[in-house]
Amino acid sequence: MDDPQITVLIRRAQDGNGRAFGELVDRHYDTIYRFAWKWCRHRANAEDIAQQACMKLACNLGQFRFQAAFTSWLYRLVINCAQDWQRAQQRHAHTDLAGTEPTADPHRAEDAIYIDQLLQQLDQLGEGMKETALLVHAEGMSHAEAGAILGVSESTISWRVHIMRKQMQQREPLASTTA
Amino acid sequence: MNMQPFEYDLRHLRAPPPDPMARERAHQAALQEFERVHAMPATAAANEPRMRPARPVNSRSAWWGGLASACVAVVGVAIYWLLPPADRVAQLQPAVAPPPVVETQQAAAAASVQAENTAPPPAGQNVARPRARKPARAAVPVPKMDMPAVNEPAPPVSQPEQRRADTSSSALAIVTDKPVPPSAPPPAPTPLLPRASAATGELSEVTVVGSRRAAPDMVSASPMAIVSVEAENRDRFQHFETNPVKLANEEPVSTFSVDVDTASYSFVRRQLNQGVLPPVDAVRVEEMVNYFDYSWPIPTSRERPFDPMVAVSDSPWGKGRKLVHIGIKGYEVPATRRPDVNLVLLLDVSGSMNSPDKLPLAQRSMALLLDSLKPTDTVAIVVYAGAAGEVLAPTPVREKDTILAALNSLRPGGSTAGAAGIQLAYQLAERNFRKGGINRILLATDGDFNVGISDREALKSYVGREREKGVFLSVLGFGEGNYRDDVAQTLAQSGNGVAVYIDTLNEARKVLVQQASAALFTIAKDVKLQVEFNPDSVAEYRLVGYESRALNREDFGDDKVDAGDVGAGHTVTAIYEITPVGSPARMIEDRRYAEQPALRAQQRRTASSEYGFLKIRYKLPDSQRSRVLELPIRANTGVPPRLKQDVEFSAAVAGFAQLLRGGRYTGTLTFDDVLRQAQASRGEDPFGYRAEFVQLVRLAEQARGM
Repeated sequence: MDDPQITVLIRRAQDGNGRAFGELVDRHYDTIYRFAWKWCRHRANAEDIAQQACMKLACNLGQFRFQAAFTSWLYRLVINCAQDWQRAQQRHAHTDLAGTEPTADPHRAEDAIYIDQLLQQLDQLGEGMKETALLVHAEGMSHAEAGAILGVSESTISWRVHIMRKQMQQREPLASTTA
Repeated sequence: MNMQPFEYDLRHLRAPPPDPMARERAHQAALQEFERVHAMPATAAANEPRMRPARPVNSRSAWWGGLASACVAVVGVAIYWLLPPADRVAQLQPAVAPPPVVETQQAAAAASVQAENTAPPPAGQNVARPRARKPARAAVPVPKMDMPAVNEPAPPVSQPEQRRADTSSSALAIVTDKPVPPSAPPPAPTPLLPRASAATGELSEVTVVGSRRAAPDMVSASPMAIVSVEAENRDRFQHFETNPVKLANEEPVSTFSVDVDTASYSFVRRQLNQGVLPPVDAVRVEEMVNYFDYSWPIPTSRERPFDPMVAVSDSPWGKGRKLVHIGIKGYEVPATRRPDVNLVLLLDVSGSMNSPDKLPLAQRSMALLLDSLKPTDTVAIVVYAGAAGEVLAPTPVREKDTILAALNSLRPGGSTAGAAGIQLAYQLAERNFRKGGINRILLATDGDFNVGISDREALKSYVGREREKGVFLSVLGFGEGNYRDDVAQTLAQSGNGVAVYIDTLNEARKVLVQQASAALFTIAKDVKLQVEFNPDSVAEYRLVGYESRALNREDFGDDKVDAGDVGAGHTVTAIYEITPVGSPARMIEDRRYAEQPALRAQQRRTASSEYGFLKIRYKLPDSQRSRVLELPIRANTGVPPRLKQDVEFSAAVAGFAQLLRGGRYTGTLTFDDVLRQAQASRGEDPFGYRAEFVQLVRLAEQARGM
């Protein structure tokens, strides 16, 4: 399932080996950070979410039992952190929300606003929608993989993907900035 | 099916590459957390302090609360893995059985129940909550998945305290080294994500870590949704009883020390802004009243730094009773004649300061302070966390950039060794001592002093000894949930300084810029008030507030007894509620065998024109001998027209504060009455403080309705 090296690192870290744990964090930081960024689309916030996720990993690694892919487990953990972060943000709407920080590509500044709105809309479509969209579309996962991460069945993911298409089609005007 | 535009866009969403610095910070923070989890011995977990009585939520810690509760679970798991296999099996058959869940949680629950075996039963259940929101219905073998049991909004959880007063071993010091404010259930509002700890126990690192994104703006403390969520709160306030009504013919003399602190008001404001009523012990009436500036007469000379004012008016809450206002205003030192300032900023950079309303706010507050100093004044910076360190040697304010750079480089992390930091700060202040100038330490903390000299008395006497050498100490309190108001008060009182609580940048501006001279320049120390009531004209009296400042009658003339200090331009207001002889509003009946006051009054008719006699004792800042000011309180004094609004407004604040304390003596007074009085006497209010007060009264009414 996982890279055997990773498995060894996890086992050592679970035994309390700090270096193995550090290595584990280093190897996965990029994945964590990039997903966090896609979630909030704001560099500093993504860094915060990623750091929280790393700290949570320290707390929770002992619970990992190799019954699923480590990355799936890790995604779940990052999503939890991101959800916590988002809840915290929503309770404080007056603080400087992520907003429209420039993307990696400044030419797409308009698109950045569009993507923010898009993610917001997806989020409003229902529970798990934003998560599903990010995992399936932005991370390119299969419905089965996404389902495993989110703790729902593959068919639920398929249903969500379908619902999102249907709903977003009705909101076509928003999608006008894309090719 | 064709790919839809939104799907296309998501597919091409590209995250920018991670910042190596951020990666390193995350790495360090995670490692620190890892070590903490693995270093915590089973006994430590079992010895964790128990739950405190639930109190209104600390709304700013929700984000951390989830993490903290997750860690509770993991501590349990860690213990589980430390056990030999046979014991593990035993652990899987918990005596306190949570609802059957998957294996991992059972283990966690069992271990955690064991770890917290003295905890109230709900603790274990919280850890072992079902992991997935929706049970999987279909083919995918979800139940076998290992999921971190952390995704759900955590129910109120029995939260181990991160800091313990009696911690001394280094292993435990690591354990305490966690930037997690007290737990709160997620429904609470939370502002910006606090910067996570940069994981620096070492001070060298504290100073070199590069600057990060500017701290989130804390100016707004806007009223939020009224919440009434229960969670533990570790803010600590000294308990005190409200001053009782006293009989003038049994105990005619009332003695107390002045109090120019205003921390209570800021704290109360913060609580009300969050939609909860403050804890009763957090409300100190005199600090609420003294928060506001009143136009009491301004003295003209430094040698006689007060020109006390007395006013008598009808009590707004007690029919047939009167209020006696005593107002003093400290001499204002002209800016040109300000003495030199040798200031040492002592900042708590421990993990507990890791919250936008703590260290970042402290940093910005200190930056504000620089504006009110002369170019030749010096500022030094000392920080303390796991260890104490000098970040900036005494530097003239002229080199503001250097000071700001040092200030802004500070990052929270590590545990709190307040005492070592204080010692270092005093050394620095003495090294740079300015004779005839102001030598003062400004301590910015959330009130945590639990590692090192944690003996409060020892710390207090240390601060007292340093005071004798001419170095004073003021305390700026930040944050909540962990705020040790009692320690802050004790230290400031023995350090000839003030304790202020800073909850917003606006408050920092008020305290550090508008009142900079008051905070820095003491114009009189050990200021004591004594009122002798005349039993011929006053039947009963009650001092409104100042409970924590009460002195014995004999302390008044004893120059060795420490009392409050007054800074340049400070206003101090004390209010007595009196019941004149013959008023039906008396609360205490006559003794059958007592001498009849009315008879005596006939015998000594002249004296009954006075309600009492006021004496104020004080020392000039550089003197050890006290002087005394005297003023009779005449029954026909009334209120000078110029001061009418101030007298009424201060009475409204006093009424409000008493209501918040339970309103034992305020009769039928309501928040609405306070509101009307305050609005009617708002006056000019150039900075809007009084308007803000009116808002607070409204918020209190709402909060009470919850």
